[in-house]
Amino acid sequence: MAVRTETAVPSWREGRVTGWLTTVDHKRIGILYIVTSFVFFFASGLMAVLMRAQLSQAGNEIVTEDSYNQLLTIHGTAMIFLFVVPILAGFGNYLVPLMIGARDMAFPRLNAASYWLFLLGGLVIFSSFFADSGAANSGWTAYTPLSTDEFSPGTGQDLWILGLHLTSLSSLAGAINFIVTIHNMRTPGMTWMRIPLFVWAIEAYAVLLVLVLPTISAAVTLLLLDRQVGTEFFAVENGGPVLWQHMFWFFGHPEVYIMVLPAMGMLSEVIPVFARKPIFGYKAIAFSTIGIAFASMLVWAHHMFTVGLPDYLQAWFMITSFSVAVPTAIKIFNWLATLWRGHLWFRAPLLFCLGFIALFTMGGLSGIMLATYPVDYQAHDSYYVVAHFHYVLFGGTVFGIFAGTYYWFPKMTGRMYDERLAVTHFWLMFIGFNAAFLPQHMLGLMGMQRRIYTYDRGGLFEWYNLVSSLGSFLMALAILVFVWNMAKSWRSGTRVGNDPWGADTLEWYATSPPAPHNFDRVPYVSSSRPVRDLRQRLRENGS
Amino acid sequence: MGRRTVVVIVAAVAALGLAAVPILLALAAPADLGGLAPAGDGSPSGEAINELYWFVFGICAVVFVLVEATLVLFVLRFRRRPETAAETEGPQIHGNTRLEIIWTIIPAVILVVIAVVVLARSPAVEATDGDRSNELVVRVEGHQFYWRYVYPDGEIALDTLVLPVGRPVRLEITSYDVNHSWWVPDLTGKRDAIAGQVNDLRLTPRREGSFDGGCAELCGILHAVMPTTVEVVSEEEFGDRLGALGGQDESGDSQLALGEATWEASCAKCHGPEGAGDIGPPVARLGTLVDEEALRELVTEGLDNPDVEGYMPPVGRGWPDFQLQALIEYIRSNEALAPPEGDGGGR
Repeated sequence: MAVRTETAVPSWREGRVTGWLTTVDHKRIGILYIVTSFVFFFASGLMAVLMRAQLSQAGNEIVTEDSYNQLLTIHGTAMIFLFVVPILAGFGNYLVPLMIGARDMAFPRLNAASYWLFLLGGLVIFSSFFADSGAANSGWTAYTPLSTDEFSPGTGQDLWILGLHLTSLSSLAGAINFIVTIHNMRTPGMTWMRIPLFVWAIEAYAVLLVLVLPTISAAVTLLLLDRQVGTEFFAVENGGPVLWQHMFWFFGHPEVYIMVLPAMGMLSEVIPVFARKPIFGYKAIAFSTIGIAFASMLVWAHHMFTVGLPDYLQAWFMITSFSVAVPTAIKIFNWLATLWRGHLWFRAPLLFCLGFIALFTMGGLSGIMLATYPVDYQAHDSYYVVAHFHYVLFGGTVFGIFAGTYYWFPKMTGRMYDERLAVTHFWLMFIGFNAAFLPQHMLGLMGMQRRIYTYDRGGLFEWYNLVSSLGSFLMALAILVFVWNMAKSWRSGTRVGNDPWGADTLEWYATSPPAPHNFDRVPYVSSSRPVRDLRQRLRENGS
Repeated sequence: MGRRTVVVIVAAVAALGLAAVPILLALAAPADLGGLAPAGDGSPSGEAINELYWFVFGICAVVFVLVEATLVLFVLRFRRRPETAAETEGPQIHGNTRLEIIWTIIPAVILVVIAVVVLARSPAVEATDGDRSNELVVRVEGHQFYWRYVYPDGEIALDTLVLPVGRPVRLEITSYDVNHSWWVPDLTGKRDAIAGQVNDLRLTPRREGSFDGGCAELCGILHAVMPTTVEVVSEEEFGDRLGALGGQDESGDSQLALGEATWEASCAKCHGPEGAGDIGPPVARLGTLVDEEALRELVTEGLDNPDVEGYMPPVGRGWPDFQLQALIEYIRSNEALAPPEGDGGGR
């Protein structure tokens, strides 16, 4: 029996603002995470638009060479550490306790601390633009020796390290919280083979974070010591430049799957509801999640095919990288099989899921091309790579995040978003995305290196760049439509009931928005679709 | 029957359309394929990379078209009809073990095939035409922000590498500061230039011409403006070009040529062609420019004091004395750069 403890809270904590500042409620923390991450997303998206404006024509002078390097560094860092990872933590925070029928996360205060650490880390990274020589400018990969004090003497790089430490602490604490919550707080009947696939994905996300975040924390700590204390962990005589790359990518590649698995989990929630079918191959999807998480830790040096590794390592990392494609393909096929013979209901969440499948397939296949290490000799560090990872992380993850945002918006706010605006958002984004990133494959193979602030080639090369820039402007327009939709609908959208979609999982049993204690009582769970079971029972009893 | 046929036809057209895009692009594009494949066919190793590229691309393109066509087909075929009620469920199919096994094995087999072919063909990527005993070994040094090439007899070239056609070349690639990556896409793939290690890149230029490339690894503020050109010429012309390059024990014209090349590659990109300043401060007529000791310290240590406006990288690491002297000789000979007489020795 849930007890309403909220009445015992001192009244100053219930204010409109203080209520949010002092909250330890997983739902409020989740929304704080999501809103903050979107703000960082818009800021780093604006940086991308600036960079594309600079590259729209040969020899442009919209931003200086130094500002450009700062922009590309903070764009990458912020998109990864301040948008994708935390917004997934936000959705996990909001949804995991509801989905497993729990009252809250296992450690509510730690949960709040995670959020505030993340916000602090974000503020440090963004405010580093005001440091004496600007923000860090050695790329989100911060390769040594470029990031050492000798070649990057400014404090921007140190602030970058501080920001990474803060967000890593935040993610680490959050990950432990997720693991403890999922392992210990499932409602009776919620066995491992009945938890929603999104919860499986968050479990894999959290375990991966715990396994690999310490590596990046160690790496940036050693870098900080090299910069500030004069140690020589990454000194050239000690093989430092290659050591850094190993440490960075040992974290950096699993990070990609940390960013993509929860979005895949969202697809596994949304697609069955809008196809009016159960997910095809629940176990296959759950086990492929584990398979991807495991394999992702074996592939890191495919980012290093051109640093001169011995042949047997090149072969090993090519084969392990290929092996990630198998569980990924299993997911794609199972989603397609879920669509098969369904009654597809084309609302915005499903559209974004279909966009994910279409675009992620492209990113996965270009990943196979890149994992083929001789091909990588040409494609590596070119725009081909930029195109590839945007197809995976934007076409994949960000489309998944939008699917999830529209899908759970009625649950979080109690109101429905505007469908016409959402569909407009989807098409602008889908067209803009392909215009922006498809030509980048060609640019890379034509010889356009990554991270250049200018170029002097005309003809087709310049045309591709112009199309790419126009595509990015279209995406910015799509984001404006999204923001307008969210702001408008949150204030005055049509009110909806507990379960506007006819969904399957427990969060839709709670009210919209859910009460602070989530559920008055939780129905016994006898399958992976408890809310559908309940609907069926009501229908049978009624007839 | 009618509607289903229409759907299938539409889906088939859509799938063919998707498949046709790359083909149309290839037909419409200029000779370099407009970026549909790597540029490199200027050497056997570049050619071997292209063959592997097309092999993997072909397989990926088929998979792409199949997956996307299935998606489009399902979207058209299984959309909810107006007459279907919102709560109507599709068949409650939870999975199919046989299908799962099939679509696990098929991708695995495809990937094994790709891996076997790539591993079998990978020696060709390192292969060179011609007699290896005649191999030309050139040291390639990445510097912020220029390329320094050293030929076997000590001749030094900056940013422009001249190679003889048809002769095997081994580039010994390294760096004197941050990571760089040497990439001339028309010839072959890239290789990183990393301080403290030497990476070999083998190639045999197979046709004469001028091929542009640059640095592929973010190396600092002028990463984008660190181009290199490889000029592939006949054996005789190669001999002439090599002779004109400044090397040890040179004086007169070839010394001035080395000094000028050094100025343009390592000084002018930041301080302007006449030293009047650009992203770096103006340096023309400064005494340091002709003071050997002061200049040596400046170019090997750089300036990393954050209080000094515009940090300066250590551009001159690894220069032999004669290169520094050539630079000073060139500066003395250049009216715009040379400090006034009598000020030559001061700091």
